[in-house]
Amino acid sequence: MINFKQVNCRLGEQNFCYDLQIQLGQVVAIMGASGSGKSTLLNLLAGFIAPQNDTAQILLGDERVDLLAPSQRPVTSLFQEHNLFAHMSAFNNLALGIRTSLKLTVDEIAQVDTALEQVGLKGLGSRLPKELSGGQRQRVALGRALVRRKPLLLLDEPFSALDPALRQEMAALVKSLSQQHQLTVLLVTHEPRDALDLAETVVFIADGRVHWQGPSQDFLQQTDTHIKAYLGQSC
Amino acid sequence: MIKVASSRHWLWFSSLSFGLVLLPLLLAMGAFSSYLGQAQWLTYMTDAYTWRVVWFSWWQACLSTVISLSAAVLVARALARRQSFVGRWLLLRCFSVALVVPSIIAVFGIILLHGKYGYFNQFWLCLGGQPQSYVYGLTGILLAHVFFNLPLATRILLQRLDAINAETWRLSSQLGMTSVDLWRHIEWPHIKGVLPQLAALVFALCFTSFAIVMTLGGGPKATTIEVAIFQAIRFDFDIAKAVYLSLLQMGFCGFILWAGLRLGKPIDMFVSLETSAKNMRPDLKPMLGIVSDSVVLFLATLLVLLPLLAVVIAGINPAWADVLLDLRLWNAFGNSLWVALSSALLSLLMASGLLLAQRHWRKRYASAALAVEWMGSVILVVPPLVLATGLFIGLSPHVNVFAINLYIVVLVNALMGLPYMLRVLSVAYLKIGTDYDRLCSSLGVQGWHRLRHVEWPILRKPVGLALALVAAMSAGDLGVVALFGSPDIQTLPLLMYQRLGSYQSDAAGVTAVVLLGLCLVIFVILERLLGGSDD
Repeated sequence: MINFKQVNCRLGEQNFCYDLQIQLGQVVAIMGASGSGKSTLLNLLAGFIAPQNDTAQILLGDERVDLLAPSQRPVTSLFQEHNLFAHMSAFNNLALGIRTSLKLTVDEIAQVDTALEQVGLKGLGSRLPKELSGGQRQRVALGRALVRRKPLLLLDEPFSALDPALRQEMAALVKSLSQQHQLTVLLVTHEPRDALDLAETVVFIADGRVHWQGPSQDFLQQTDTHIKAYLGQSC
Repeated sequence: MIKVASSRHWLWFSSLSFGLVLLPLLLAMGAFSSYLGQAQWLTYMTDAYTWRVVWFSWWQACLSTVISLSAAVLVARALARRQSFVGRWLLLRCFSVALVVPSIIAVFGIILLHGKYGYFNQFWLCLGGQPQSYVYGLTGILLAHVFFNLPLATRILLQRLDAINAETWRLSSQLGMTSVDLWRHIEWPHIKGVLPQLAALVFALCFTSFAIVMTLGGGPKATTIEVAIFQAIRFDFDIAKAVYLSLLQMGFCGFILWAGLRLGKPIDMFVSLETSAKNMRPDLKPMLGIVSDSVVLFLATLLVLLPLLAVVIAGINPAWADVLLDLRLWNAFGNSLWVALSSALLSLLMASGLLLAQRHWRKRYASAALAVEWMGSVILVVPPLVLATGLFIGLSPHVNVFAINLYIVVLVNALMGLPYMLRVLSVAYLKIGTDYDRLCSSLGVQGWHRLRHVEWPILRKPVGLALALVAAMSAGDLGVVALFGSPDIQTLPLLMYQRLGSYQSDAAGVTAVVLLGLCLVIFVILERLLGGSDD
């Protein structure tokens, strides 16, 4: 269970305040209008932003996650872009997930190769990011998430720059990898389709707060005015 | 100044600019080529002194470049890492000031600090040591070159480091990178692309440096080609030898700049640095980094601030009333102001026409557009003294050159400022072309309306900055003016140089403060008033 207890922060003019429980081992779609605080939730969990109140706690099971340095936290993040180092081969970009000095043992090299294979990039390890397509680049980043072996995968609109067909392909890949490796996936997305295809649960955020949480198949039937406004349905 | 795409008026304007740039260059070259026949090539080439000068030019330029760049990497990294460092604002301001300080002022400051009776020697004396004389020669030249080029290089590198995106820093903190990892995987790959061009630029500036070597060289042991050209013209009246030396210098400089251009990415010289967003990086906590960054930033601040402070303090002395009441000072002041503003305006006129042509040619004649870019770089390797002398010789059969020598100074300074003008303006000029040409023609916005509503709002900032830079550089010019130095044309840098040379240190101090004030005021007024506020 991931538990956000009174996690407050303020960015610019806006206040954010999260109270939230998420069951492990599922895919959770985080939805909401632009600027509502979807990414902020992930950034707090990853440690890129710190809560501003003393009473805030972020727990994974019984462990306080919010006191750890970003590199100590049980998460891997994937951004919309800039997930890779442009001057490094796909292999090295993956290898960074194991050891930042890039000095790998034979076993670890085998791990990287396996991960490359799992994300469908077998034989492309020596390519630079610019020699890969947008979808392939996101696959490399996904591969790095696998070798890092962290239980939580935080995806911040990772497919929004991709074409619809590619998007579905990547969604399927994320789904199968998360089942295979028992990952909990938090996916920030704009696309209600992603939520239905991928996620068991939807967390809807409005004005910096969790506004609704429930099974994804119920999300589209909600009569809540915020959700209807977001989905573009008249009240 | 600027015309619309749909009319052909721009062609007239551009032709005028091309004429203004090319005619003086051709005239000077033509005048020189008539001396080529007189050159005693064999004597020059076997002259041991000339080779020593060539060797020293290379040696000091290489050292200056290596020291400036390695120090700049340390300073830029420390600045990028400590975004909330309290002295950041002061340091960046000092670095901006160093871009426009006349070289004679920096030299004066360095002598005040490091000279035989300077502050450092006095301090050393208090500790019981013997006064050391080290400022004249290579040490002084290096000090002055680092004073000018460390800030320039730091600004360019810092801008590259600030451009690293937030995701990269987040990624690095999630992966738990150490300071060494960050340097290897992020910072070095980001800056190494600009290093060749940056090194070439700094090298070229130091290789052709005149006023600094002239004042701090201290004799034939530490002379550069540029100074030797001056001596050949001014003292030996040996134009042919000056031609030979200029060809050497242009060859070396051209080669270095060409190599930099081939090897690296283009650099963006003049950008505002104060608006960078805060980045989170994982190596802010370790004590070693905090200590080393503090030391680096403290030393960098001292390097730039101390000479300037020394100059200001030297200006506060009993001689100020005499100096300020002296009409010669105000005559020189007026000349300097006039030279500064006219050079800047003329340079803007040249650059606007060239860029306008580039904008129009860009679509159909790529090579012609490229030629405009090259023109800027070519001027960077032509020694101003050579250009001035060429003009002098070329014009003298037709007009009384002594009557118009101040105009020649303006013309040469405008040409020398052209590379900087082009660099600062070209991005905005081309952006208007690519972003708004079609929009403007579809809306029928043209002529005066386009100038006022489209071009001016976008261009005023770079135009203000470019004018400010060229004006400040021209106000501080000592080189072209020194060549024509006669009692009836005085400028502030020349007056300063004479007073330094005749050991009137009190008068030199007051003159220095007036000159420094003039340069800074010109810069601030042009940049701020014309360029508008930051937002």
